Amino acid sequence: MTHEVLLTGFGVRTAFGTGADALREGVFDGSPAFTPITRFDPGPYRTNLAAASGTAVPLRDVLAEVAGAAAGMAGLHPGTEATVLVGTAGDFTALTDFWRAAASGDGAAPDPLDRAVETVPAWQAEALGEVLGVRGPRLAFTNACVASASAIAHGCQLIASGRAGIVICTGAYLVEEENLAKFGSGFALSRDGMVRPFCADRSGLLLGDGAAAVVLESAESARRRGARALGAVTGWGAASDAHHIARPHPDGTGLVTAARRALRRAGGPRIDYVNAHGTATKSNDPAETRGLHALFGADAPHVPVSSTKSTTGHLLEASGVVELVITLLALRDGVLPPTAGFTEPDPACDLDYVPNRPHKADIRRALSINAAFGGANTALILERA
Amino acid sequence: MIAATSGPEAAPPVAGFVESAFNPLVHQAVERCLRARPGDGSRTAMVLASTMGDAATLDLGSRRLVAGQVHNPLLFMQSTANAILGQLSRDFAITGPLLCLSTVADLAGELLATAELLLDDEELDRVVLVGVELAGTERTTAAYRNLRSPGPPATDQAVALVVDRNDPHPRPPSDAPATEHGTLRGLVELAARIQGTSP
Repeated sequence: MTHEVLLTGFGVRTAFGTGADALREGVFDGSPAFTPITRFDPGPYRTNLAAASGTAVPLRDVLAEVAGAAAGMAGLHPGTEATVLVGTAGDFTALTDFWRAAASGDGAAPDPLDRAVETVPAWQAEALGEVLGVRGPRLAFTNACVASASAIAHGCQLIASGRAGIVICTGAYLVEEENLAKFGSGFALSRDGMVRPFCADRSGLLLGDGAAAVVLESAESARRRGARALGAVTGWGAASDAHHIARPHPDGTGLVTAARRALRRAGGPRIDYVNAHGTATKSNDPAETRGLHALFGADAPHVPVSSTKSTTGHLLEASGVVELVITLLALRDGVLPPTAGFTEPDPACDLDYVPNRPHKADIRRALSINAAFGGANTALILERA
Repeated sequence: MIAATSGPEAAPPVAGFVESAFNPLVHQAVERCLRARPGDGSRTAMVLASTMGDAATLDLGSRRLVAGQVHNPLLFMQSTANAILGQLSRDFAITGPLLCLSTVADLAGELLATAELLLDDEELDRVVLVGVELAGTERTTAAYRNLRSPGPPATDQAVALVVDRNDPHPRPPSDAPATEHGTLRGLVELAARIQGTSP
């Protein structure tokens, strides 16, 4: 027997602020959140811009904030049996602080040493479970930009198979120096201060703060608790490209396989909107476009596709869960979030990318796709409640 | 089922991967399994588990950053364990899901539970599982002090298993005593059971 997977709560935080209204005012308005970085000196790096506001805060606090909001919306209480799955690579600011303290040899600075445990992804999952007060397994997913989407797919399968009744899936990334340096060294960062997915003049990505959590729940559990369904996750799939350690397959083959798996599970090919991975890198966008052509065939030009990374920045491990929440809002509000900063399309990118302005649309079923280093791809299908 | 271990002796280098033993160990352990038991890559998933991940790459990158040195793009490429799974997926034409996990518990139980979950999917026939942990670094040693974890192995080590849909369902060793294998102790014991050797 397969159990229906409902979404009964969410919490979200991006550079636009906390909660759904902040997303509506930023992402759905097509207003990029990129500003000069102030939480550390960006001088040594290839850009001084990111979608990050304010000073650095511990990742654990942001995870607790969004997961607490999701649990509150779903009406979960401490003591509830719930699995906690977190997409994270750990707290990179704690990592930098540790090695700065070690390099300075300052024995009077014990805090970075105490915070070394916060660099461990598994600890973030354990700590979040403790803060929420829920009982159940805790696990971190570390597979980069598909980490939180993988956590969601895993959670869905736990529920569908009857192994779990409630799963809290979350993910977080906060802009910091380690990844700014890494992405700079890989020449992946935008040169013009904008993220322009699918455009001819795109030059790369910018990083962004992002964290979100969703409460997934079997229909039986939701009914028993009297929880309201906000949406249903009806399809999920994952696949790899078997192509390159960092670049996607140029035909988006893994993405197509992941999406077909999700569609088969969801039972039917209809998709009204795609929230794309859309990193604005040279290799991702045409590969994703070709993959969507292969997936939708003759219908491809009629399926709206947007990349909300054009406003939020690239949220790395948090991408999947934040973009699922954005997709949920699109379904509930009947508004397609645009691809911001859109100029001239790349000739290799010839779909409807919802350029610059939001569209009203009566959408019932949407696909959110993500891809990562190693050729890992995920696909999630969300339906309106 | 088939199992293979890698370490403590150095594994052969893997082109494009530098500085850290993490990726060569993973590659060698998985390669040993897949060469011994080839299969249909389109019906194969891979799952990697590690409490700390590639601490050598992470710490080296951070120390260079703190020292004001230019970041090495190769360290960027291998900064996530996805990269070595991507290399293996290319080498063995594996197009199923790729997962990387971090848990404070013994890795064997989590990997086997994940394999069981993945094999619910009728499109998959087998799952390559790999547990990998590096010996403690200054940072991970500090971190382990605040973790309820068996701790790091005494030496860098990886253990791979291939679980086939038709295999008898493997169970993680229960109440495995603490050993020099740290978080890998259950996998080491399971691998020894499969290989008919002592851990």
